[in-house]
Amino acid sequence: MSNTIADEIVHHVKERQPLTIWSVLGNEYFLYCVSFISFLLIWHFIAAAGLLGLATPEATIKEMIRLMSVKLAGKNLFGHIWASSRRILIGFAIGAATGLPLGLFMALNRYVNAIVKPVFDLFKPMPPIAWISISILWFGIGEPSKVFIIVIGSFVPCVLNAYAGIRIIDPELYDVIRVLGGNRRQEIFYVSFPAALPALFAGIQISMSVAWTCVLAAELVSSRSGLGWIIIRGMKLTKPELVLGGMAVIAIVAWIFSAATSGIEKLLCPWKRGIKEL
Amino acid sequence: MGASPDRRVKIQVKNLTKRFGDLLVLNNISFDVADGEFISIVGPTGCGKTTFLNTLTKLIPATEGSILIDGKEADPKTHNLAFVFQEPTCLPWRTVRDNVAFGMEVKGFPKDKLEERLEYILKLVGLSDCANLYPNQISASMVQRVAVARAFAVEPDLLLMDEPYGQLDVKLRYYLEDELIRLWETLKATVIFVTHNIEEAVYVAERILVLSNKPTTIKAEVHVDLPRPRSLVDPKFIEIRKKVTELIRWW
Repeated sequence: MSNTIADEIVHHVKERQPLTIWSVLGNEYFLYCVSFISFLLIWHFIAAAGLLGLATPEATIKEMIRLMSVKLAGKNLFGHIWASSRRILIGFAIGAATGLPLGLFMALNRYVNAIVKPVFDLFKPMPPIAWISISILWFGIGEPSKVFIIVIGSFVPCVLNAYAGIRIIDPELYDVIRVLGGNRRQEIFYVSFPAALPALFAGIQISMSVAWTCVLAAELVSSRSGLGWIIIRGMKLTKPELVLGGMAVIAIVAWIFSAATSGIEKLLCPWKRGIKEL
Repeated sequence: MGASPDRRVKIQVKNLTKRFGDLLVLNNISFDVADGEFISIVGPTGCGKTTFLNTLTKLIPATEGSILIDGKEADPKTHNLAFVFQEPTCLPWRTVRDNVAFGMEVKGFPKDKLEERLEYILKLVGLSDCANLYPNQISASMVQRVAVARAFAVEPDLLLMDEPYGQLDVKLRYYLEDELIRLWETLKATVIFVTHNIEEAVYVAERILVLSNKPTTIKAEVHVDLPRPRSLVDPKFIEIRKKVTELIRWW
């Protein structure tokens, strides 16, 4: 291709810099390590000094490794991780499968919006955990009541983001298809849905983190399994390493969930990626 | 305002009037466009150029009057209208290739014809090499070229351009104007090109319609019968440019 002024491609890559002491010290990943190691060190010294009733990081890690083989209430650590994850996956799947389409419908159809929105706005600010009593009343203390809390928790951000995702679409994108003579169905499938996709993923991410809050709350109230129960167990036995271990494992598993969602988003929204091989 | 007598009339605009409540914006505008003609429309700022275009494409309904394409009432669903907007409008989730194909997909071109024409247009506009990039990976001027390619791809009965190069620097603008002329000569489209830049209008158009202040009417018509490629410093060119400038200045 002739290299003309109009053929410029935007470059997203940084120039490769020579390796100096400053480039190492200033490197993002190096700083990530610094941040993480200082956190562990501070934690260690506070715990070793006997302050704040904490267990040291190594005691916490040892306790978690022990739990991988020793069973607590009939389940080892992985059993408990799965117990919590399963509740989240089921609850989140139901919440998203109902919330996202509802949000899309509300944004695309003003009649649906007019009917649903007042009630939705009423329930929106209510913390999902407020539903715990009702949930136990309706579903008992088994799995369904916990899943129900998660459904409620993940439903709201899904609706909100799907709705916003459609509403913030640049009106000019609709003009493009209208001038071309596109009908309403084409407007929705060619413009609305793909344009809203990143917002749907934002909703999914928020729902995931809300779902973790909900599962914890549900497990703290009534449960014999799950990571929330491990924390309660540690509290009752006055074993800080069990409490901290439970918290650390939650952080790691929640992070994996979030990273997996980002991975799927990158796969489905390739235009949000940077340029490879440039 | 008629087109040249030896050419077939493609577009007829008859008594086009648009009112927003009591505000008369377009006042009884009538003109013809010949098949394959390149028309520029210039006018003072705020004279209703955008309203004029939006009415032509039926994005907003006209209060009175009609727009006929080949003798039939214009309708985006039956006619192939194409529009290049002031802001570069590419769909960010489609690659350059899919953006150029977008109009043809909406119009329901058969698959083999679409593929063939897509390759042809990409090659003609010189976008083949970056066909798989996304709009956020190319420069703003290239995004506008994609929009122009998309507009030409649907074999438009009428191609409307609303100050498409208004936000680009001079060097790029010259380049893209030449490219536009080349595309128009190759693909034989009927073009209405709205601009506030008189030099640009004289450079690209066969005929210039000068609009008045609101309520907008067509104030004058200027034929530009200069050979192409045109030179910006040709005395005849400057003479026409001055004439159009005077027309805009003295209303």
